[in-house]
Amino acid sequence: MTYFFQLVVSGIVVGSIYALSALGFVLIYKSSRVLNIAHGQIIAAGAFITYALTVWAGIPIYISFVLSMIITFFLAMSVERIFLRRLIGEPIISVIMVTIGLMSILDGLIYLTPFGAENFSFPKFLPNTPILFGGVSISWTQLVGVIITILMIIGFSWFFKKSTMGISMRAVSDDQLASMSVGISVPKVFGLAWATAGLSAAAAGTILGNITGLNFDTLHAFGIIVFPVVILGGLDSVLGAVVAGIIMGLIQQFAKGYLDGNFGLYGTGQVLPYIILLVILLFKPHGLFGIHEIERV
Amino acid sequence: MSANRWLATGNFFSTYQEEQRIFFTHSDRTIFSIFLVLIFVWPILFPLSNKYMLVIDNTLIAIIAIIGLNLLTGFAGLISIGHAAFVGIGAYTIASFCTLIGEDHMLITHAWPLLILISGGVGAFFGAIVGLPAMRLKHLYLAIATLSFQMIFIWTIQFMDFFNQGQTISVGRVYWIFGKVSRDQHYLFWYYAILVFIVVLGFMVRNLLRTKYGRCLTAVRDNDRAADAMGMHPGFTKVYAFGLAGFMAGIAGALHAYLYRGVGFESFTLNESITYLAMAIVGGLGTLPGSFLGPAAIKALDLLVEYFAANVASLMPSSQDVATGLRPLVFGLVIVLFLMFEPRGIANWWRIVRSYFKLWPFRY
Repeated sequence: MTYFFQLVVSGIVVGSIYALSALGFVLIYKSSRVLNIAHGQIIAAGAFITYALTVWAGIPIYISFVLSMIITFFLAMSVERIFLRRLIGEPIISVIMVTIGLMSILDGLIYLTPFGAENFSFPKFLPNTPILFGGVSISWTQLVGVIITILMIIGFSWFFKKSTMGISMRAVSDDQLASMSVGISVPKVFGLAWATAGLSAAAAGTILGNITGLNFDTLHAFGIIVFPVVILGGLDSVLGAVVAGIIMGLIQQFAKGYLDGNFGLYGTGQVLPYIILLVILLFKPHGLFGIHEIERV
Repeated sequence: MSANRWLATGNFFSTYQEEQRIFFTHSDRTIFSIFLVLIFVWPILFPLSNKYMLVIDNTLIAIIAIIGLNLLTGFAGLISIGHAAFVGIGAYTIASFCTLIGEDHMLITHAWPLLILISGGVGAFFGAIVGLPAMRLKHLYLAIATLSFQMIFIWTIQFMDFFNQGQTISVGRVYWIFGKVSRDQHYLFWYYAILVFIVVLGFMVRNLLRTKYGRCLTAVRDNDRAADAMGMHPGFTKVYAFGLAGFMAGIAGALHAYLYRGVGFESFTLNESITYLAMAIVGGLGTLPGSFLGPAAIKALDLLVEYFAANVASLMPSSQDVATGLRPLVFGLVIVLFLMFEPRGIANWWRIVRSYFKLWPFRY
């Protein structure tokens, strides 16, 4: 039973990071209907920026965490400004392909830095001894990561519920023409959506990097797992992203814990999310919380 | 008015049949025939070393794969981020036969055209399965379905002992009427074999696109409700488009397996899928000439990148091969720049050049 609870704990830890990164993805989709295939690369970029600031520039990690979020905020905003702003009104298929191109570009840029090939790990700044709850252990890094994630998710939901900018973002996602007519600048909202997504991506990347260490291939795979999460939650639901993130984390950890090595299987945690994705697309395409607006063709 | 069948400076169609002709003028047909003879004859007149022949063979295989991807992404308007996996299905069909009956079995060495067609069929089957969500969904979701198919494919290959966990599975040398194809002749032989496949498939697709079964793809892409009202089933049409793309990719993969005389997982990764997409976009989505120009352009670019990477390797701080970083960077840039500034691809330049000569000397 301890083993079970241990898996639950680590599932929730991983899942909450999934939730945070899926949140950014959903934000972009909700406001501009663009599937951002390059989201995983932005997550990786955020993590690497934090590392570079912490270790190479010698800034304390708390400050470099915030700095990295700010840098990625502007990075994502400029990506939107340079590549996607001029594609507003183009068919959505070419916009998606532009994000595929972006994914490739960011991949290439990261491969050209030392981060492409080597493994790095963040310096330890929290106590090394794990916290024990009756046999179930959770490390300080994981605990702090989960707390930051939960705080950020609460912050985002406050932002969407209460702030003017957040409300205008929701308005744009609801009806672009109507929000234009009440004076909301739609391109600005798109830019802000990308920027917020970049911010949450940097946070997710840094927390993940602290827990698992920095390896581009791992972060890359992590970025692609965002797709099963958002499909499970429903592409346009923030709540769905959070819930599905935690569900996906749990599924992955249970697969790792119970399936791997038992039936001659291994690596099931990596493939199960995609199988779930295909099954969901076949039987419940709008996910758990998505709006039933998908047209049957 | 009897139109001049040799030189036409404009369109003088009076029946739909005339509009659907493959060659509009006799000169088109003549030029094409001469071109066809030339591409079959030049390797005999100017023999190239095996190294360059391999590059050319590779490009030809990519052309077959891109014809499929273009049918799917260009004509039917469905993004596929998993095309390399479909190519891989074809290659691993050959590899499975090799594991099951031995790499030098008669079936593999003598009946290879049959096996290549079977691989195409297997590719079509998997393509249709991945396309199944199309019965309920629009293209956005299908892009994710193909992406997840790519991930599942790579995992399956690396997981299963049957596929040697992604390590190379070797494929035997084939026989032709002159006997076993020797090492020196290998790439030349496959040049001709692939070329025959391209010519046959090219004409097939060109014909397909002027029949009901090809035009329904474009109809569903442009307006699925209108297509529905005209009596087409948009869902089935999309599944069918995936099947077609899978068929082409399967044939390309089988040829790849025979050309390299081995199958390993690294030729079918996500990066390869993106390269295929770059080829389709650069060539020109929704045009048949684009499927030929795109792979040629990207493979040429690839050679340039490799040459450049070899030269700057000493200047870069990165400890690994510069080409691994430079290649995605350049291909990504090419995708983005073409989509932003020339969405109709190189095929559009080709069209402009052609119409220049067609209209000469009456340019306006």
